[in-house]
Amino acid sequence: MEVLRTEPDHKKLPPPKRRLSEKTKDALSAYLYISPFFILFAIFGLFPILFSFYLGFQRWNGFGEMEFVGLRNFELILGDALFWKSLGNTLIIGILGTVPQLFVAILLAFALNSAIVRFKNFFRVSIFLPYVTSTVAVAIVFGIMFNNQDFGLINIIVGWFGIDPISWGTTEWGVKIAIATMIFWRWVGYNTIIYLAGLQSIPHDLYEAAKIDGATIYQQIRYITIPMLKPVIIFTVFLSTIGSLQIFAEPLVFLGRTFREEGMTVVLYLWREAFVNMAFGPASATALILFVIIILFSSINMYIANRIGK
Amino acid sequence: MRRLKKWLGLGLSATLLTFSLAACNGDKSSTESTNGKVNLNFWVFGSAGYDVLVEEYMKDNPDVNIKVNFTEMGDLHNNLFTSIAAGSGAPDLTMIEVSQVSKFLDAKDSFYNLYDYGAKDVQENYLDWVWNNGQTPDGAFMLGLPTDIGPTTMYYRTDVFEEAGLPTDPEEVAALTDTWEEYHQLAKTIKDKTGKNIVDGPELLFNALRDQSPEQYFNEKDELIIEDSPYVKEAYDFTTKLIQEGLVGQNGLWSPEWGAAMAEGSYGTLLAPSWMVANIKANAPDAGGKWSVTTMPEGAGNWGGSFIAIPKESKYPKEAYEFIEWLTSPEQQLKSFSNNGLFPSAPSVYTQDEFTGFTDDYFNDLPTANIFAKAAESVKPVYMGKHYPIVNAELITALTNVAVNKADPQKEWEEAIKRIEAQLKRQ
Repeated sequence: MEVLRTEPDHKKLPPPKRRLSEKTKDALSAYLYISPFFILFAIFGLFPILFSFYLGFQRWNGFGEMEFVGLRNFELILGDALFWKSLGNTLIIGILGTVPQLFVAILLAFALNSAIVRFKNFFRVSIFLPYVTSTVAVAIVFGIMFNNQDFGLINIIVGWFGIDPISWGTTEWGVKIAIATMIFWRWVGYNTIIYLAGLQSIPHDLYEAAKIDGATIYQQIRYITIPMLKPVIIFTVFLSTIGSLQIFAEPLVFLGRTFREEGMTVVLYLWREAFVNMAFGPASATALILFVIIILFSSINMYIANRIGK
Repeated sequence: MRRLKKWLGLGLSATLLTFSLAACNGDKSSTESTNGKVNLNFWVFGSAGYDVLVEEYMKDNPDVNIKVNFTEMGDLHNNLFTSIAAGSGAPDLTMIEVSQVSKFLDAKDSFYNLYDYGAKDVQENYLDWVWNNGQTPDGAFMLGLPTDIGPTTMYYRTDVFEEAGLPTDPEEVAALTDTWEEYHQLAKTIKDKTGKNIVDGPELLFNALRDQSPEQYFNEKDELIIEDSPYVKEAYDFTTKLIQEGLVGQNGLWSPEWGAAMAEGSYGTLLAPSWMVANIKANAPDAGGKWSVTTMPEGAGNWGGSFIAIPKESKYPKEAYEFIEWLTSPEQQLKSFSNNGLFPSAPSVYTQDEFTGFTDDYFNDLPTANIFAKAAESVKPVYMGKHYPIVNAELITALTNVAVNKADPQKEWEEAIKRIEAQLKRQ
């Protein structure tokens, strides 16, 4: 601002009363217009982030005095078998829920993009619909389907294959499979639509040229579709990684307030620390650890996804 | 991403605008009604029916204006916690559930001590153990006046008892289950004759035994005592013994299966507090007459109940106290009972004709009020402690593992203790 004010040429000096130039005014009004976002972001976004950095080193139950405890919270969390268990759970549920989902989404997108399928618009809309439903509603419906009893829908279905009824709410793999299924069902349509958009942006002449040169379908996919789709794949892998490291609502609603360790995810763990056990220090420490983990995993995933098609 | 931010910003500005408009609105309404009046904000959960009583109070006290705010129980305590921690936004009056009392006693600087406003004078109106739950262990600070309680009793299915060739009359059933040992025998009889379980899940059986003991998870210094004190372990061992003998169902408390079983009558007894009546009627509307109720083996415990406290933010503690003293008086508790089924914490109600004459046609016209009153008077005082929910959740997990996954009870107990200690270390 200072620079702007000192610069105008001296012949056209503004009258002494007007202290702001038109340019400055424009700039100011622009800042004013965008300020609501930044003010609100500072209050509801930036402040909590900084505060949780601070809280990570304190002992606080929400009421009393805060007490500086140094790295004690981190020691407690990193020394807690349940934290590592929850991290393992998060990764397993994340892999179970997203890897098959991204493959299926690519296949579905191919199918929707091909000339063979009719009623395309109908399928596009209906495949996207699960994404619009509320997570809590999904978890309740799946909770009824993945019922522990013999008469639960999924237990009847596995019964057709001669498998004994599974206690979906209490067994190691039952809980994970049930939660991963919810995530799969809810997000597969979202990724399909993103892939579909990516597929449609690939110019047709590339395929025509390849066909004239005698390329097979496999070669077309291998050398045209996948490389051209790469940015989209990186995008979905990136979002899915972050999303699956933050799984929270599904296990919370599915397990209720039992917080059974089979379905404990990292975010559920830190939520329980803060809002059930009122230990805000360890909860913030967990959040910071999760922050580092997310950066780490996202970078690894980006690196791998970048190599696709090379 | 940029578009997302734009919409986010727009949405947030819109929300802010709405908030500020709402704030203007709120100011207006409060100035309109302030003309020399005392305005009290009252936070309430559940179906207490206090709105009717508040109307009545305002008619007799025209200079007091009370606004009742209904919220769900969990939300109310969360909101109260946030506003107390933030130091602003708390109401003039609030209900606090008994399991949350210790937590808020921790922040007792944010509440008025009701002993300073004359609570000692009404102490004799209430059951001793209820009164003790509302104050600090040293008895110097009273957080709230007690409203209702939840004395535990034994509900049972008359059709299951008939099928097993057992008596169905409440007196005879009570005589049949004087002790838990007899209850164990009864469980075996019902299993042999009908193939049905004695209870639907492990939790209520464990709760029933636990709530009868003179001490539970913590002593009054908030030290964990379940490893040295025999009572909780005994409750745990009795429950796991019955589980291992195949006499206990596997349903989790409050799950849909649990509700369905209540309607079907696929088990013999339900060990639960007086307020469970509402749940039974809601889950099994067509089973009227098949459910009956009697006293529990070896006396009763208490589960639930509330207190009304005055946060320090209130400018009118005197007026607020006068109101709660009126609201929790025996006369008003009798009204809450006949209108909404809230079980009184003032024993003088138990002998009033309107109370003793109360019968419930759902339970074969039994004088249920009397049965619960008898239970209420045999409850012993228990210190719960502010970390009660942590310990309870882990023990329930252990019991579920034994019931559903056929895990070893002793190993589960030790694992639960380890998890509890890990969490308590952080407090």
